[in-house]
Amino acid sequence: MTKQYVGNSTSTLDHAAFVSGRSTYTADHIFPNQLHAHFVRSTHAAAKIKRVDLSGAERVSGVVLAMDGMQAAEHLDPIPHFVDPIVFGGKTTNLRCLALGQVSYFGEPVAVVVAKDKKTALYAASRVNVEYEPTQAVLDASDAIDSNAPRVVPEWADNMLMQVPFGGGDCAAAFEAADHIVKTKLKVHRQSVQPIETRSYNAVWDHRESAITLYATAQNPHPLRYVLTNALRMPENKMRIVTSASGGAFGLKMHGHPEEALICLLAKLTKQAVKWIENREECLLTGGREQEHEVDFAINADGRILGIRDHFLANVGAPGGTPGWGMAFLTGLSMPGPYDVADLDVLANIVVTNKAPWSSCRGYGKEVTALALELGIDKAARELNMDPVQLRYKNFIKSDAFPKKSATGLIYDSGDYQGVMEKTLQLIDYDGFRDQQDALREEGTYAGIGVAYELTPEGGALPGTLVAGYDTSTVKVDPSGFVTVLTGVTDPGGGNRTGIGQIVADELGVEFEKIRVVQGDTQSCPYGFGNYSGRSTIVGGGSAALAAQDIKLKIITLAAVMMEVPEETIEIAGGIISTSADAGSQMSFVEVCYAAYTRNYDIAACIEPPLESTRTFKPGLISHTPDEEGKINPYPSYSNAAYAVVCEVDIETGKVSLKKFAVVHDCGKTINPILVEGQACGAVAFGIGGMLGEEILVDESGRQLTTDLVDYTMPRAADVPPIALGHHDTPNPITFMGLKGAGEAGVGGSAAAVVNAVNDALKCLNVEVLELPVSAPIVWKAIQAASLGSTETES
Amino acid sequence: MAVDMQELVEDSVLLQCRVNETPCEEFIHPTTSLLDFLRENLLLTGTHMGCMTGHCGACTVMVDGSIVKSCITLAASVQRKKISTIEGLGEKESLHPVQAAFCEESGFQCAYCAPGMLLSTVELLNETPDPSDAEIRSALSGNLCRCTGYQSIVRAVRTAAKLYTADKETQE
Repeated sequence: MTKQYVGNSTSTLDHAAFVSGRSTYTADHIFPNQLHAHFVRSTHAAAKIKRVDLSGAERVSGVVLAMDGMQAAEHLDPIPHFVDPIVFGGKTTNLRCLALGQVSYFGEPVAVVVAKDKKTALYAASRVNVEYEPTQAVLDASDAIDSNAPRVVPEWADNMLMQVPFGGGDCAAAFEAADHIVKTKLKVHRQSVQPIETRSYNAVWDHRESAITLYATAQNPHPLRYVLTNALRMPENKMRIVTSASGGAFGLKMHGHPEEALICLLAKLTKQAVKWIENREECLLTGGREQEHEVDFAINADGRILGIRDHFLANVGAPGGTPGWGMAFLTGLSMPGPYDVADLDVLANIVVTNKAPWSSCRGYGKEVTALALELGIDKAARELNMDPVQLRYKNFIKSDAFPKKSATGLIYDSGDYQGVMEKTLQLIDYDGFRDQQDALREEGTYAGIGVAYELTPEGGALPGTLVAGYDTSTVKVDPSGFVTVLTGVTDPGGGNRTGIGQIVADELGVEFEKIRVVQGDTQSCPYGFGNYSGRSTIVGGGSAALAAQDIKLKIITLAAVMMEVPEETIEIAGGIISTSADAGSQMSFVEVCYAAYTRNYDIAACIEPPLESTRTFKPGLISHTPDEEGKINPYPSYSNAAYAVVCEVDIETGKVSLKKFAVVHDCGKTINPILVEGQACGAVAFGIGGMLGEEILVDESGRQLTTDLVDYTMPRAADVPPIALGHHDTPNPITFMGLKGAGEAGVGGSAAAVVNAVNDALKCLNVEVLELPVSAPIVWKAIQAASLGSTETES
Repeated sequence: MAVDMQELVEDSVLLQCRVNETPCEEFIHPTTSLLDFLRENLLLTGTHMGCMTGHCGACTVMVDGSIVKSCITLAASVQRKKISTIEGLGEKESLHPVQAAFCEESGFQCAYCAPGMLLSTVELLNETPDPSDAEIRSALSGNLCRCTGYQSIVRAVRTAAKLYTADKETQE
């Protein structure tokens, strides 16, 4: 079959709407008599709530309703966790939409006010009087694990949400046998994904049906409906969730946030439409990635890594309903990344504190695996005086070793890691830079080059949860030959909608312009799991292709009857049906579609109408039956990429500037090169931003200091260097067309390459920064400390 | 005793301006931002809210041909001025060259930042028809994008510059 669209840079579906302000985002829905909600949030990181006095708010004209945690609990059951830690052997807790009796993080919702407009709601919320009795907050993971630390959840025996070992082999023996042991202490700071569109919910009550339609910024509308109807004690089929165009998600819009169920409740109680739009300060409360690692490598004299030990702490903040905490689990599970190391001893200590809960963050913990491994390998290269690239080559899994079972039980599908790295080095001219580096130094330029690798398990499925590996699509062809694809996956803005459209257009042999892809509406789309983990094109595209193939078979059968030729001679392309039996004979796709619906008692009796099919794509390789060591493989696909960056450090100010950036990735088959390139470059900007400036800070009492986008400095156009991008694809043997997923990989690899480049530039000054970020003040301090140290040594 | 917001602030003011060439007269609350006025009063929801502090640029519009952040601009301050929003730039059948270039080069993903990016590009190209990459990156520094890493946006602006010049020449 000729592919007209797959593999080409087809323009985004409905692109004109996106550039003319015509696409509808969640906050764009405005209903008659629209009410607005505003939250009253905790001003303490830890406190008992003595009293909530709503009377000040209730006196404000235009206020419809004010509510505290006690009242909310009368109507709402605890929200089910996206993934309950108890499923993985951790601790669970009842999650309330409004604090009940105590607050456990700064910014926790304590009360809510609903009013006729936003300004009135905002003003009235300021009139709610909450009396707190502050208690001692615990903010650092290392403090929280102390047996005397105050408990974040009073009913728990300690602050350990979960402690999970990962690994295999005999790590102790490997350390015993090794020639060198290299220890790397690494601190990854608290970051936040911050899409430009914040979260928003608008719930509309249908009095006649006792039903709710919720317009929501939600990545996973069907699983969200399960959570909300359970909390609201209503039948699951009485709620419809509609997700409009998404202004970026990156994990933030995976559910479990307290506002979701509460806005639904407020609509139910007021019997009107109630809307809430998160402000940036609220959005900045959600965090992620804060981990402390001690990575030890056992290495032989020839550079072979015999064993890796990494006992780490993850500070996931207070317990929350989103699957944020799961990122720390993935950090452990994804070890030892692309390296062939069988003796592995990883212990994930997932700790709760009085910071706001994590949300999911692009990378989903795998980016911290990359940071730990890649910063560790570079440190080993510095200590053992080896080339960091050669050290990686010595330890990569070889391309002929797939499928490869990792020490944690994952089964890698395919890959050529050294091939990917070699191409990356060519793109950035690694050897050329090394040749110039000393000369640059003599001119006073502190330039460095850093490389890193990232392996990203994609498309995960967790047993017993609504995190499924499969997904479902319906394809419908109208009598007029137009095609509608309804799919259970959703588009966070990256373009899977376009990719799915391209796949269906090719499978059916019709024009791309005839395809409409509908996503994110629980009333019209098949039950599906939305977007996460780079899965959407793999399973959404795969299931839509299967459904399109069903319909194509019907059309071929009917066309063969109509043209009086054998079925196997029929070809469909570009909306034209032709037959190899008679070169001059052809029909339009539309004619046959019309006949399929209108001639079912004569020539179309050979097929069953309508031209519709619903199919599920269930990738293989996922295994939920534990092996002899009790390990499962929750991922079907392992995309991977290498990163290289050249930076310059201004040693007077500590400012890091990136000069060149190269990426080569293996995302399997590429459906749309320009969209995949966009995904790769976007992930790189995330990685760069996370290392150069983005950092969430709290004061010693736990009050958040980072409150706007001047404090939280995400990269701007001038901060990101041009990115040279290459492909080195090894198709996944078990997914549709060999797709591996694109989008999640890139955050950790690019972040690690940046840090490695900075440390390479500063190696001559004996400066090494492993407490992140490598922002100007931190780099400057490290340079000052080293120069003071060397002055002292000299004197 | 009921507290009424309306009594806490001064009376409404009459705003007279042109929005996308359409004359507009409306009584507004004096604290209303230009962003809220466009989105809520005129239902021009193509202008987006990202931060309400003027840092993200999603709310960028043009006032008398210069870009402003509508979230930190009081609607009452655009009295008798010309406002251009993304809705006024061009539509599906008649895309402005800058819009066409962003489509061609995939200069957006979620497109939440796109209206602001496009209007900043229009201002840049009006002043600097053939900008260097450094000038492009500098001109777009008031607009945050979280999806693209800016690479496709810079490419789109370069293409827009070519289309824009060609378009102007045709018009002349």
